[in-house]
Amino acid sequence: MMTNEEITNFELEVLELLKNVMDPEIEVNIVDLGLIYELKYDGDKTIDIDLTFSTPSCPLGDTIISGVKETIKKKYPDFTTNVEVVFDPPWNTEMVSEDGRRMLGM
Amino acid sequence: MNGLNSNNAPHPSVIKPHFIFGSVALLVLSVMIILADTTILGPYFDSKMLAITHMAVLGWATMIVFGALYQLIPVVFETSLFSEKLAKFTFWLAGFGVLFLTYAFWIADYTGLLPYAALVMFISLLLFVVNVILSYKDSKLKNVSSRFVITAVVWLSVTELIGTLIAFNFKYGYFTAAHLHYLKIHANIGLIGWFLMLIIGVGSVLMPMFMVSHQLDDKKLERSYYLINLGLLAMAVNWLFVHIENITPIFWLLIVTGIYFFISFVYDSYKKRIRKVLDIGMRHTMISVLSISLPVVISLIVMFGVGMDSMLLLRTTTIYGFTIIFGFITTIILGQTYKTLPFIIWLEKYQALVGKTKTPMPRELYSEKLADIQLLIYLFFIIFMIMGILLDQIWLVRIGSYLLMAVAIVYNINVFKMIFHQVKKKE
Repeated sequence: MMTNEEITNFELEVLELLKNVMDPEIEVNIVDLGLIYELKYDGDKTIDIDLTFSTPSCPLGDTIISGVKETIKKKYPDFTTNVEVVFDPPWNTEMVSEDGRRMLGM
Repeated sequence: MNGLNSNNAPHPSVIKPHFIFGSVALLVLSVMIILADTTILGPYFDSKMLAITHMAVLGWATMIVFGALYQLIPVVFETSLFSEKLAKFTFWLAGFGVLFLTYAFWIADYTGLLPYAALVMFISLLLFVVNVILSYKDSKLKNVSSRFVITAVVWLSVTELIGTLIAFNFKYGYFTAAHLHYLKIHANIGLIGWFLMLIIGVGSVLMPMFMVSHQLDDKKLERSYYLINLGLLAMAVNWLFVHIENITPIFWLLIVTGIYFFISFVYDSYKKRIRKVLDIGMRHTMISVLSISLPVVISLIVMFGVGMDSMLLLRTTTIYGFTIIFGFITTIILGQTYKTLPFIIWLEKYQALVGKTKTPMPRELYSEKLADIQLLIYLFFIIFMIMGILLDQIWLVRIGSYLLMAVAIVYNINVFKMIFHQVKKKE
C-alpha cells in the first residue's frame, strides 16, 4: 500500500512525463499550457486525468487525448488512464505557467 | 467529450486537391499576367483582364478557401461537413468551370462559350453553398463568427448569380443598363460579401487561436457584421433597383466603419496575445489585415475623384481591385496556407504516432526560409505593381509580374513539399 506522499510523488512524476505531450501548433507542452486540471493516481494501476483545451473547438482534441494515453502507456504499459475533458472553468491565458510563458516568447 | 475533436475534420483527400489546384492556379495566373502585361494598364473591362481576375478570385483564392473552409467547418461551426462526396464532386466541377470560364474570357468568346462556362461555375459554387449551409444547419455553435461565414456563403451565391446573368446577357441582351454597371455590383459583392466576410468570420476564430489571446470583445465583431452587411445590402439594392444618385458614399461609410471594428478586434487580439513571436503565417496575416486600409483609401479617392484625369481614374480603379485581390486576399491566403496545410498533413501522417514516437512539428513540414523569401518577394511585387499601374509604367508592371511568378514558384515548392511529405522511418 502506497502512502499519500508516495502517491503525490508519483502524480508529480506523471505530470512531468506529460510535459512530453505538445500542442503541435503552439509548440508548448500541455502541462505548461495549463491544460491539465487534475491528475489522480489511485495507488494501484489507474490514473484519472481532467484536462481541457484552449478552445472547445480545438481541432487537436483527439490528438492531445491519445498523446496523453500513449505517453503514459509507453512508460507504464499495464496502467489504465482515464481522460475526462472538462470546460469548467474555461481555459484562459492566466493558466499558462511561467515556463510556458517563456516558451511563448513572453 | 463536449468539444470538437479532429474526427470531425474531413478526410485529407477532400482538402488536398484544393491546395494543389490553387497553388498551380497561382502559377498559371502569374504567367497570364506576364502574357497580358499591357492590358493591366488599360480598361478593366477587357477580356484578358477578366480572365486574369477570374483565375485569381476563383482558380487561386476560392479554391484554397474552399479547401481551408472544409477543414475549418468543424472549428467554426463545431460540426462536421455535411457531405464529403459532394465536396469532392464540387471540386472537379469547379476546377473544370474555372478553366472553362478563364479560357472563354481569354479568347473573348462572350456569346459562344462564356454563358455555358459561367453556368458550370454557377452550379459548382451552388453545390458548395448547399454543402456549407447544410453543415451549418447541424451546427451547435451559432455565434457571430459562424454567422459571418454563412452570410459570406450567401453573398457568394448572389454574386455568382449576377455573374451568370451578365454572361448570359452577352448572348440574349436583356439588361437595360451597361455591363459595367452590373460588373461593379458583381465585383463588390464578390470581394466584400464573399471574401471579406469569410475572412472576418474565419479569421476571428483562428487569429486569437494562433496568437493565444483570450477575453476579446465580440461586440466589435457584432458591430462589424451589421455595418458591413447593411452597407453592402443597401448599396446592392440601390445599384440594382432604386438608383438614387450620390448616396453610395453613405453605404460605403457603413462598410468602412464595419471594417474598422474588425481591424480593432484583430488589434485587441494582437495586444492580448501571449504568443509573442509571430510565425510566417501570422506575419502574412497581419500584413494582410493592415493592407485592408489600402483599398479603403483608394475607394475614397475614386469616389471623390472629381476632376481626375479619366485614364488616371481608370488606373486607380484597377489599383483598388488589385489591392483587395493581392494586398488583402492573396496575402492572407499565402499566410494561412502555412497554418492550415502543414496541420492537415501533420494530422494525416502523425496523429496516430503521437505519444508513441517523436514526431516533427507541423512547421517543420515546409521550409520556413523559403516562406520568408516568398513574403519578401511578394511585398516587392505589390510595390512594383501599384507603382507601375499608378505611374502608367509598363516596365514596372513587367518586373512586378515576374516577381509574382517567383512568389508562385517558391509557394508551389513549399506546398508540394508538404503534399508529398513522407514519414521518416526513424520518426
